[in-house]
Amino acid sequence: MTRRRWAIVALLLLVALLAGLLVRRTLLGSGDRTWARIRQTGVWRVGMDPSFPPFENLDGVTGLPAGFDVDLARVIAARWGVRAEFVGVGFDQLMDAVVANRVDSAISALTVAPHRTEEMRFSEPYLEAGMVLAVPESSRLRPALEAVGGRSGEPAMAEVAQPLAGQRVVAEWGSEGDALARRLQAQVNGDLRLVLRNSTDDALRAVLAGEADVAIVDAISLALFAGDGGSLVAVGQPLRSDPYAIVVPKHAPELLRQVNEALAALRDDGTLAAPTGAVATCCILTFSRCFPACSPASSMTAS
Amino acid sequence: MKSSRNPVADVMVLLALLLALLLPTRSYRHWVEFGPQQQVITQNPKMGVHTRLTDEVEPWKIQRTLEMVRQMGAPWIVEYFLWAAHEPQRGVYDWGHADLVIDHAVNQGLTVIARLGYVPEWARPPRTNHLYLDATGYDDFARFAAAFAEHFQGRVKQIIIWNEPNLSQEWGFRPVDPAGYAELLCRVYPAVKAANPDVQILAGALAPTLAPPGSEWGLNDLDYLQQMYDAGAGPCFDILAAHAYGWTFSPDDPPSADAVNFRRVELLRDIMARNGDAAKQVMITEGGWNDHPRWTKAVRPAERVQYTLRAYEKALRDWPWVDSLAIWAFRYPRPTGTYQDYYTLVGGDFQPKRIYLETQAYAQGLRSQEAQP
Repeated sequence: MTRRRWAIVALLLLVALLAGLLVRRTLLGSGDRTWARIRQTGVWRVGMDPSFPPFENLDGVTGLPAGFDVDLARVIAARWGVRAEFVGVGFDQLMDAVVANRVDSAISALTVAPHRTEEMRFSEPYLEAGMVLAVPESSRLRPALEAVGGRSGEPAMAEVAQPLAGQRVVAEWGSEGDALARRLQAQVNGDLRLVLRNSTDDALRAVLAGEADVAIVDAISLALFAGDGGSLVAVGQPLRSDPYAIVVPKHAPELLRQVNEALAALRDDGTLAAPTGAVATCCILTFSRCFPACSPASSMTAS
Repeated sequence: MKSSRNPVADVMVLLALLLALLLPTRSYRHWVEFGPQQQVITQNPKMGVHTRLTDEVEPWKIQRTLEMVRQMGAPWIVEYFLWAAHEPQRGVYDWGHADLVIDHAVNQGLTVIARLGYVPEWARPPRTNHLYLDATGYDDFARFAAAFAEHFQGRVKQIIIWNEPNLSQEWGFRPVDPAGYAELLCRVYPAVKAANPDVQILAGALAPTLAPPGSEWGLNDLDYLQQMYDAGAGPCFDILAAHAYGWTFSPDDPPSADAVNFRRVELLRDIMARNGDAAKQVMITEGGWNDHPRWTKAVRPAERVQYTLRAYEKALRDWPWVDSLAIWAFRYPRPTGTYQDYYTLVGGDFQPKRIYLETQAYAQGLRSQEAQP
């Protein structure tokens, strides 16, 4: 065989190899068996612990999973043309169930755990559920608190404490908000009056009633309160960030890409508000079933 | 740079510098002083907490954690020691981190109950979970447990064999196997006793669950314990380790086979008695309440305080067969960002939660367990 023929054969082999790789990537998603199986079976097995309303719980009437994470999984699955199948897994076992391929993904109010990224992958956050400062819309403290901490990341406690000096800060007794309020109080040498109530809702009501200037609560409690008609808003960056994300197996890069693309699309079309930045009231979520006072920005096509 | 006239001196200086740089990385102990021997002052000697120091790297944080446990008034801690970390190769032991934890605990006057588990890669088949241990590895685990007992002679007197083996996840994502666990216990027991006869073997540490027979996720603790006895586990442990979570129920809610509550441990006790083990003690090595605002199995923070103190009191006054009650969990090295954080008594930054302060007041006799916060 001449050298030219060798070159032609080699070129053909290369083209065949590239074509094969292209076909494989298209059909199987870069060798991602999880994604290939989801496509093949038309079922996305999603693990969740249905004990955490409004994100996942069992519907009292039907006994079926219901909640924000359930809706989110269904909307994503619908975009892919597959069906979300929910698998009840104890919370402690959820991440390990993903690692062991007992489920394809876990969606269960799980936060990004940097120390576990060796074993699994986390999607872009779809929701910020951390601890926030809540004030009335017309609060004079808003500009100062919104300026704290820049555009992203948890602000330093000393920085947050300064505008709160001399103010009344309310939280539920014994709660995370109570602990954060005591830390802020220490930052201003006690020049912050701590007001304590028996529940998160009572703490938020205390602000509305003028018994306190600022409440420290988690973003979801605030959203639920706002959903019930309370007109308080979150200001500034979360004091403690809890970004919820979808967990997928380590060796499922195509599934991860598809999940992130779906989340981005849901964000773009307004179904899902941006998960970072200042947390708004109920409209951090636009799923009306979770937060009745919200107006859905787009109609859902959940299967 | 001008060199000295004595090349030997130069080499010695260089070596000394190298040693000075390397030595701190070879030992954890250079970073914190132990201080004088402490003792726990408490009105309730059964109080305990489960610490989470396994993945706590910084020695000062280990010391601070144990100091705060002592200051709270709890004489007992339960801590997890990873087989994979302490025997990275078969027969090669590294006790560095475990020594650090246990020595600090002893220095604070605390009694350590050591939980052993987490299988090294060399002891299990490829691509299996870190909690997968089949019968071919039982002797390896028994040898490790014996080495642990020998190394910590005089410092650790209670060892828990495995954790929640009635959950599939904790059994390497295999169907749970009470007979298999009984066999593991019976391999470990003589090996540990031969190495250190003072050590007591704790068995069970079963997850309170209602999972029915045949569930892919586990088996309820009551059936599992009976099946352990049926398989001959009785002579292979000294104390039953129990987990007692209250979920939304008060610590006085009556026990029932179809409910997970704090007093479910009494049903385990009944099974022990029915199997001729009434003389054995129980140690509650995990338990307590959670105060997340929305988790369906959580209570409010004020209720959590009240329930926890009542539980400590119950263990002291009503349950003579319980030696210790360890609340899950004292502190996490880092927040999980989930409802799990609402089990802790102290924040990641060591700020005590209200429950810590109230428990401390109770241990000092300054607060009655009936008092409202």
